[in-house]
Amino acid sequence: MNIPAIFSGLIFVISLVFIFSEKIHRSIAGIAGAVFMVGAGKVLGFYSEEAALGAIDFNTLGLLLGMMILVAMLEPTGFFQYLAVWAARASRGKPVRLFVLLGSITTVLSMFLDNVTTVVLIAPITILICEILGLSPLPYLMAEALLSDTGGVATLIGDPPNVLIGSAAGFSFNDFLIYSLPIVAVAWVATLILLRYLFRDELSKLPENANAVMSLNPAESLDDPKTARRILVVLGAAILLFFVHHLLHVSPSFIAMCAAAVALLWVQPDIAEMFKKVEWSVLIFFSALFVMVGGLEAAGVLDGIVGLMERLSSIPPLWFGISLIWIVAVLSAVVDNVPITIALIPVIRGLGEAGMDITPLWWALAFGAGFGGNGTIIGSTANIIVATLSEKTRTPITSSLWNRRGLPVMLVTCVIASVLYIVLYKTF
Amino acid sequence: MNISMCMKRNIVSIPDTYTIRDAAAVIVKKHIGLLPVVDKDDRLVGVVSLRSLLSLELPDFVNFVADLDFVHDFGAVETTRPPAEVLDNSVTTLMSPAMSVPEDAGLLRTYALLLQHNLHDMPVVSADGKLVGIASRVDIGVAILSTWAKRD
Repeated sequence: MNIPAIFSGLIFVISLVFIFSEKIHRSIAGIAGAVFMVGAGKVLGFYSEEAALGAIDFNTLGLLLGMMILVAMLEPTGFFQYLAVWAARASRGKPVRLFVLLGSITTVLSMFLDNVTTVVLIAPITILICEILGLSPLPYLMAEALLSDTGGVATLIGDPPNVLIGSAAGFSFNDFLIYSLPIVAVAWVATLILLRYLFRDELSKLPENANAVMSLNPAESLDDPKTARRILVVLGAAILLFFVHHLLHVSPSFIAMCAAAVALLWVQPDIAEMFKKVEWSVLIFFSALFVMVGGLEAAGVLDGIVGLMERLSSIPPLWFGISLIWIVAVLSAVVDNVPITIALIPVIRGLGEAGMDITPLWWALAFGAGFGGNGTIIGSTANIIVATLSEKTRTPITSSLWNRRGLPVMLVTCVIASVLYIVLYKTF
Repeated sequence: MNISMCMKRNIVSIPDTYTIRDAAAVIVKKHIGLLPVVDKDDRLVGVVSLRSLLSLELPDFVNFVADLDFVHDFGAVETTRPPAEVLDNSVTTLMSPAMSVPEDAGLLRTYALLLQHNLHDMPVVSADGKLVGIASRVDIGVAILSTWAKRD
C-alpha cells in the first residue's frame, strides 16, 4: 500500500468512527474529514480541490433539496395532520383498522417524501389519537417507522440510499417501480402481517371511548388548505414527470428543482422560515461524504478493495448479490446506511469496470440498505425519531422492545428480498 | 415600598417528607396554587405548583400538537388518573427548584421576575433562608397600583 492510500484510508476511518459514535454531530465530523482529505490530497498530490468538487454528486443533492423545499412548504399547512385525523375517523376507533390505515398513509407518503419528515409529522397525531382512545401508542409508532422505512425502498425518491444508487447506476424512476416495487410490496405486506402478530395483545384491546375520534374534525386540522392544494398539485405533477423523466432526457433532480421553483413562485412563502425547515445538515453531510470517498478513490484505496473482491469472483454472481444484501443489511442496522452506500457505490462501479455484471448488485445494495435499517432502534433516522418522541411520553420505546418487534421485521424482509432476488435474478 | 409589606404571612407549607398525594390533598384543602416545601429547619427547599401536579394527568400529546382546536373530545384522557405508584412518590420528585426573593426586594423587580419565569406566586425568604411569606401577582400588582391613587 502506498502513502496516499494509507493516509486517505485513515482519514476516512477516523471520520466514520466519529460519525457512527455520534460523539460529535455527523455533519461536523463530515466537514472536518472532508477538509482533511482535500488537505492531505494536496500535500501528497493525490487529490485536488477541483477533483473534490467533481466527486460531489449534484444530482443527488438537487433531488434531495428540491423535495426538501416542497416538504418544508407542505409541513406548516397541516396536511399530514389532516391525513392522520382522517385515518382516525375512518378507523372508527377500531385498533387493527387504525393500525393498517396509519401504516398505509405513512408508507405512501414516505414513498414520495422524506421518511423522517413523514414520521415527525404523523407521530404526534398518532399519540393524540391513541391517548384519546385510551390505547398504547407503541404498536402504531413502531409500525409507522418500520413501514415507512420499508415503503421508502420502493421508489427512486423514497429514501436517500435509493437516490444515491439511482444516480450512480443511472436507474430511472420507472426502473425502481419495475424492479424494486414488487419486492417491496411483498415485504411490506409481510411486515404488516408480522407486526399485527407481534402486537396481537396490544391490538386486541378495544378502546374505552371509540366515539372520541369521531369528534375530531379533519377540516379544522388543515391550517392552510389553499397552500396545501397548490403544493399537492405541484407535487403530483412532479411525480408524473418522474415517470417519464428518461423520455424527456432530464434528471430527477432537475424535475425536483423545477417543482420547488414552481411551488415557490406560486406560494411565495416567508423564505427565511421555509429555509429553516430544509435539512441543510443532511445536504452538507452528503457532500462531505462524497468528497471523502472521492479522496479514497483518487488515492487508489477503492481499487485495492475492488481487487480484493475480484478474487472472490469464483463465487457465483447470484450468491455475491445475496451476500451483499445481508452484509449491507447488518451494517445498516448498526450504523447509518448513507455512508455505507456512498462508500460502496465506487466499489460496485469498479467491479463493473472489471467486467462484472453489476446491475443486480445495485439492487442488492438498495434492498440491504433499505431493509437493514429496520433491525435496531438506531438503524434508521425514522426509528430514532419515534423512539426519541416516545421517550417524552409515559410509554417509551426501549431498545429491547425494538429488538423483539423490529429485528424480526428486518430478518423477514431480508429473507423475502433474498428469495425474490433469487427468483427474479435473471430479469435484473 | 418592598415585598415584605404586601406579602401573605400566614403561609401553608409542607415538609419534604410528604408524598405527591399528600401535597395534592393540602392544595385541595387550602385551595391554593403554589405549595412551598421546607426542610426540618423551615428552610425553603423547593415548590410544588398546581401546574406541575396537573402535568401528571395531562396527556402527552398536549406537548407535541401545537393547535388542539380540532380535538373536540379528549375521550379516554378525561377519565384517566395518574397511577398510584406515581402518587406515592416523594414530593421532592415533582418539586421545582425554589425561586425566591429577600424581604427587602422591590415590587417591580419581583413582578418582573414572576413574568419572566411564568410564575404566579413568589416565596419570600429571610436572610437565613427561612420561608417568611408568599406574594402573588395580585398582591404585588395591587400594591403597585395603590400608589397611583395619590395625586402629587
